Amino acid sequence: MLPAGADDGDLYIEHSSAESLALEEGRVKHVSASTHQGMGARVIKGEASGHAFTDRFETSALMQAGKSARAIAESGKNKAPVAIHNDVSAPALYQGANPSEGVDFLQRKSLLEELDALARSLDPRVKQVFANVSSSFSDIHIIRMDGCHLHDARPLVRLNVSVVVEQNGVRETGSAGGGGRFSLSRLSDGEQARQLVHEAVRLAILNLDAHKAPAGSFPVVLGPGWPGILLHEAIGHGLEGDFNRKGTSVFSDKMGKRVAAKGITVVDDGTIAERRGSMTIDDEGTTSHRTVLIEDGILTGYLLDRQNARLMGMTPTGNGRRESYAHPVLPRMTNTFMLAGKDNPDDIVASLDRGIYAVNFGGGQVDITSGKFVFTTSEAYYVENGKIQYPVKGATLIGSGHEVLQKVSMIGNDLELDPGVGTCGKGGQSVPVGVGLPTLRIDELTVGGTET
Amino acid sequence: MKNLPTDHVQLAKLATQLIESAKGAGAIYVDALAISDTGDSVSVRNGSVESVEREDAQGIGLRAFVETPKGLAFATASSSDISEKGLKKLAEQVILMAKISEPDPDAVPPVGANHPTSEELDEWNRKHPGGNPGWDITQARDAALHCEDLARNYSSDISNSEGAEASFGHNRVAYASSDGFAAEYAKSSASLSVSVIAGTGENMQRDYAWHRARQVSDLHSPEVIAEEAARRAVSRLNPGSMESGHSTIIFEPRTATSMLGHLVGAINGRAVLQQRSFLTEALGENIFPDFVSIEDRPDHPDGLGNRLFDGEGTRCSGHSLIDRGQLTTFLADRYTAKRLGQAETGSAMRGLTGDIGIGPSNLIWQPGSHSQKAIMEEIGNGILITELIGFGVNGVTGDYSRGAGGFLIENGEIVRPVQGITIAGNLKEMFANIELVGSDLTWFGSSAVPSIAISNMTIAGE
Repeated sequence: MLPAGADDGDLYIEHSSAESLALEEGRVKHVSASTHQGMGARVIKGEASGHAFTDRFETSALMQAGKSARAIAESGKNKAPVAIHNDVSAPALYQGANPSEGVDFLQRKSLLEELDALARSLDPRVKQVFANVSSSFSDIHIIRMDGCHLHDARPLVRLNVSVVVEQNGVRETGSAGGGGRFSLSRLSDGEQARQLVHEAVRLAILNLDAHKAPAGSFPVVLGPGWPGILLHEAIGHGLEGDFNRKGTSVFSDKMGKRVAAKGITVVDDGTIAERRGSMTIDDEGTTSHRTVLIEDGILTGYLLDRQNARLMGMTPTGNGRRESYAHPVLPRMTNTFMLAGKDNPDDIVASLDRGIYAVNFGGGQVDITSGKFVFTTSEAYYVENGKIQYPVKGATLIGSGHEVLQKVSMIGNDLELDPGVGTCGKGGQSVPVGVGLPTLRIDELTVGGTET
Repeated sequence: MKNLPTDHVQLAKLATQLIESAKGAGAIYVDALAISDTGDSVSVRNGSVESVEREDAQGIGLRAFVETPKGLAFATASSSDISEKGLKKLAEQVILMAKISEPDPDAVPPVGANHPTSEELDEWNRKHPGGNPGWDITQARDAALHCEDLARNYSSDISNSEGAEASFGHNRVAYASSDGFAAEYAKSSASLSVSVIAGTGENMQRDYAWHRARQVSDLHSPEVIAEEAARRAVSRLNPGSMESGHSTIIFEPRTATSMLGHLVGAINGRAVLQQRSFLTEALGENIFPDFVSIEDRPDHPDGLGNRLFDGEGTRCSGHSLIDRGQLTTFLADRYTAKRLGQAETGSAMRGLTGDIGIGPSNLIWQPGSHSQKAIMEEIGNGILITELIGFGVNGVTGDYSRGAGGFLIENGEIVRPVQGITIAGNLKEMFANIELVGSDLTWFGSSAVPSIAISNMTIAGE
């Protein structure tokens, strides 16, 4: 049924189910489940693409979807039919089983109740506890224009705990989470769940005593792990193929040029087993890759789906992703992190005369055209003469993606990946991602506090 | 597999059928939602079609209550599978989950809500017919092409385009509850947007403009949208930073909508119950100056948030949120209203998946008498904020720190663009520090806001 003029095209057939239990005010009273199934049809010709989806598995609806998609390359002639053959060459990075199997609703409920009791026992200032355990399982089939049939079955689990604490009429909040592409049983029996409670309570109590953060330009040391969101915002989005093919990214003409200090290497790696951002194959069936984006400070790679790779004369990097059958494919990140350096993390913090040591962050955002990006601290300290002085309230840090990594002067030997909580939004689509970072010193970043 | 039909008359019937299935599986009280969405969109870039998308979606959602020894417990489930088998599976799944859910003594089952009458429903559907908003795919494509062309040719500083997009569609929603209420309504919408880039290399600036309306005939013209996007992109070129310190800022309507969002988040009845809001104790207090009034209006000719009833079938009527500075109510669904001991506000928001949320219909911030120019003259020195990025708002404490861009104002005049700065404060203080409200009331979907000037914000720059 594909038009003769098409460069590429596929059918994407998905069945997904998700379950979630949430505790608030001491009760697990939000229990929900959802099931989605449907088909997306896609036809690509040059820079243009046609995409249609339906969740009615009826011949008429499927034919209509196919017709809408092919209108983009309509020529009246069809390609010759092809035989469908299976491609199972990509090594599976996770178990293709529903991650909630073996952990029934009651076990999940007991887990949340146990976490609630633990949080309240840790500190009398804990007034509210919210805990949520969710799991999903997506079974996808991709049938490409050449008849190649690929299959992936993706588990995903997540556990989140947040608390509200109160002291002398002042309230604060703290939260922690974790997860990945593995069985729920790993979260539900392990020490990991209890650790999240300790972490959420610790953060909330810490923030009760937080001082105002300073306002202005300061040297900033980022802790290892989740602060890797810096790379996601400052660098990653700007290296996505669509923006660079179109010349709308501040990185568009920087391939082969220095964009970071010497010693900095940044990769996007979708091949790490069981990570939240990993995929055995991407949503176009390309086997997952490890792509070096920046090598020793020089820009070396873009993140590419099939269409952008073809148009740029490059090879797809396994970064073609879609939220579901109801969404078009876009080049997206997987797990994006910086390789470890040689510096001792303690020395990096001690190097600050007067600055900020930021250990944990909330979300971030970037304007890939101007390069301006932000991310907001959730655990940070004011440092003077190399010594941590006191915690500071959440502040937004702002910088320019094409400049910030050139201001890095020390790279820790302590690379960590995040605990499995990242979700990235682009073009109205959300996909799970990972980040990672060693302890890092940036000589200058604008800190958006209230103390001047 | 036999599928149930989803044509016009059947959606409410489908919801009713779901209720019967759930009752058959053991539910005492149930409410159900059935939706159907169809839509088309065309995006163009550099004068050619870049993508064509067609959406054909449907779904059912179910909330079922069961009686347990400790009281009523419930669960929710949704599916896009509306086959008879799918319906049955959904009903069985939701009962299984409700049985393990923890009962809540204050639970409010879906019976006896203050529903609209059938006459009111008929009148509403006559007044708000839905259906195709007035485009076919060719007309939508032509509008997008025209809009992008105008934006690209606005000025020689426009160097690149992210394209224009035109979309149109309609959806239908049916709600039914086990007290016999069943109603259905339709909505249509059309939108046009464009995004262009000015400058080159490390001095590139992107901006956009969009408009959405129920009918194509109410949509801003391609000329208006193109001019706004291109003028904004060009005006941002060659930005600088600025000195850190304190300043008065003016949120233009585009950025002022975020203040409505923060207010709505903080007066969400559930957040208040759970002490997750910095306004938990603020009911009846003057949290804004006396010239600020904000209302929730469920039927407004310009609003896209019109609704006759909310996600629990409760009739919506207009009410004030902020009356001359004073916080007059929290937003509540039936459960929250009961817990807070306040009147229902018809604010239950229902998606297919998950629990009931809380939100307003159309929000209108009453305009003042100053034009934006007059506000700039009045404040003398400050910053006009045209862009906000990031999520640096703590809903529990009200602490606020966001990335911002805009224009430096000196002696009442715009002198240059600024970027790479942050603005910070605390929302409670920011609300109280509003100095002026503009006359330039502007609609963005379901919110209408004027320009707002706030004094004593902390700026971080160089």
